[in-house]
Amino acid sequence: MTSSFDEIKNLYQTLKTEWNKKKPDFKQCNSILLQIKIGMTKHTFLPTSNVEASQKEYLIARDILEVGVQCSIAMHDIPSFERYMAQLKCYYLDYRDKLPESANQYHLLGLNLLFLLSQNRVAEFHTELELLPYDIVQTNTYIRHPVALEQYLMEGNYNKIFQAKSNVPSDTYNFFMNILSNTLRNEIAECLQKAYKKVSINSATKMLNFNSTNETNDFANKKKWILGQDGYYVFHLEEEKKAIEPLPALQIADYAIQYAKELETIV
Amino acid sequence: MAATVATVEPVPDVEMTDVSDSQEKKDAAVIQEIRDNIRQIEKAVQTKEARFMLRVLRSWSVTRRKLNAVVLWSVINGFYTHSASDKELLLSYVTTPADIPEAIKMRTGKNATGALLPEIDGYIRLLVLVQLIDKEDYKKAVEFSDLLMVKLIDKNRRTLDLITAKAYFYHMRCYELTDQLHKIKGFLYSRLRTATLKKDYEGQAVLINCLLRNYLHYNLYDQADKLVQKSVFPEQASNNECARFLYYQGRIKAARLEYSVAHKNLVQALRKAPQNSAVGFRQTVQKLAVTVELLLGDIPERHIFRQASLRKALVPYFRLTQSVRLGDLTMFSETLENFKKNFLSDHTYMLIVRLRHNVIKTAIRAIGASYSRISVDYIAEKLGLDSPKDAEFIISKAIRDGVIQATIDPEHGYVQSKEPVDIYCTLEPQMAFHQRISFCLNLHNESVKAMRYPPKSYGKDLESAEERREREQQDLELAKEMAEEDDDGFP
Repeated sequence: MTSSFDEIKNLYQTLKTEWNKKKPDFKQCNSILLQIKIGMTKHTFLPTSNVEASQKEYLIARDILEVGVQCSIAMHDIPSFERYMAQLKCYYLDYRDKLPESANQYHLLGLNLLFLLSQNRVAEFHTELELLPYDIVQTNTYIRHPVALEQYLMEGNYNKIFQAKSNVPSDTYNFFMNILSNTLRNEIAECLQKAYKKVSINSATKMLNFNSTNETNDFANKKKWILGQDGYYVFHLEEEKKAIEPLPALQIADYAIQYAKELETIV
Repeated sequence: MAATVATVEPVPDVEMTDVSDSQEKKDAAVIQEIRDNIRQIEKAVQTKEARFMLRVLRSWSVTRRKLNAVVLWSVINGFYTHSASDKELLLSYVTTPADIPEAIKMRTGKNATGALLPEIDGYIRLLVLVQLIDKEDYKKAVEFSDLLMVKLIDKNRRTLDLITAKAYFYHMRCYELTDQLHKIKGFLYSRLRTATLKKDYEGQAVLINCLLRNYLHYNLYDQADKLVQKSVFPEQASNNECARFLYYQGRIKAARLEYSVAHKNLVQALRKAPQNSAVGFRQTVQKLAVTVELLLGDIPERHIFRQASLRKALVPYFRLTQSVRLGDLTMFSETLENFKKNFLSDHTYMLIVRLRHNVIKTAIRAIGASYSRISVDYIAEKLGLDSPKDAEFIISKAIRDGVIQATIDPEHGYVQSKEPVDIYCTLEPQMAFHQRISFCLNLHNESVKAMRYPPKSYGKDLESAEERREREQQDLELAKEMAEEDDDGFP
């Protein structure tokens, strides 16, 4: 048992040195992580039993997981990010009393929030948020960022989100920010279709936060928008079609039968 | 089993004669009440009718309020005649009254040496526990409730279930008051498993609620939601437990943005809650219900804030409602700042922060209704937004979400409202009617289900049906005869 723990420690050291290099080799890190994970299953790595592991073990395990989270972001591996985060959360929450707070804690939790937001999993975003103490939500830069984003998103203040993109609290946030802005573009496109009769290609480029009209053109082609001669996109208003909506006869009949049935049981 | 069970001596009809002090009189009355209750419990055990037990537990809060050391001391001395060690143990948890009252014999003769019914034992111990909690002697309460749990869980008696259920709640309460709720999660789960296997409905209901409360205490909404999904809340549970469960469910759903479900749960919780007592519970539920209703985009009725018992507690929420109704962002942030403490302690702050965009929506709706054409700059100014660009995005989202019917003209920078569609041409009114009708029908069905029928009345119904058939037969014959007579009359 102890020998294998020493092994993990050694691996952990190599991982650390690799990770702290200026340009870490992520593939290398990942393979070390894989070995460590297999090694750790022999220990009380996850809170599955009632056996208390020593604080040192917990600390190392937590450190390893933190590296794992950042590594998977660097490798753009979302499922693995989610897995590491799930494991890490019990170190942050369940062992809150036993361990000293990690320096990376809020950084990574904020990252997780942003991840949920970029996946449009708003319900989970809020349950995660409830777990954090209120003053942290208000003051911590890492947490405040995704919280503000969520608010802008709900309001429809997309302009602010594009602004927020340039002042992220950490480089790791960029990966999810890019995903988020792609979802945003789709949202905005839908708004444009509904709210404008026609829009010029220049202002569409500005609204969608593209750098050039070419990008806008590609995007518009995907959406099947038609660019007119005068440089305007013209949106077909769907209302006229709506006016001749057929009566949902089946549904009305369904209701009537339902009422009759209920009335019969009463009388 | 029955041989060892001691019967309680019937309470003498004559009141004690030498009571001079009013306090003494009161104590005597309470002791009398407890003895009555204990007799009821005995009856419940003998007849195996949960009804009597329920009656005792219904008066629980009344009894609890009247408890004091003198009463407990007498009751323990009166009932624990069979075992000196038990008596000593219990008395060590009760403060000895200043002047020890005269011991009253509550059990007689041969029975006095037999063991107490576990139900009665449990009841008296619960009284002691509640007294400890009320006196805020939490350390002792935790100790005592641990003992009580050990005692109750190795008994396997269905008649004990209701008492045990009550004990679970107070066990959880002790741990909550000493802020060590996380320690009993495992215990509660193991009890829930046993209760489910034994079909102890009340126990199940109480335990599920305890667990939910446990999770919500630590804001573990995810786990709580999973528990709700994975477990079945027993339909037979008492109204109070149902109300609690509905409230917890409402809280979970609200956190998960399922506002309409949350609102439904909370309104039901309010209906199920006792109407004359439990003011605290109703206040808490109403606060959350108001918040959720606002999040749904509805404005709560004014009379909610006028109810005497709720008026004071709801003041912050009243302000909040006003600001949302007016769509006034500055008033909204002021209210949020002024009553932050209230909202934080009510666990509604995080929900209320989400309200901001509802305020904006109402404001946009108001603008849309009053202007047929308005410039984007002006809207940004009205809403207190940083730039017209922000406003343009917000308005376009509002249009997409169907808040207002309008188009934006980016060239000239104004918003043009469309002619409102005649709502009576759409299916909207029908949907509204359908919603109301199905609500009424549902209400009717629920009330029929909730009614209690006298036992075996269905037999009578059947008879009357037979009678009816006979009568119909007679009617038919009569009609035939009449018809024949008619024929005779007109040849």
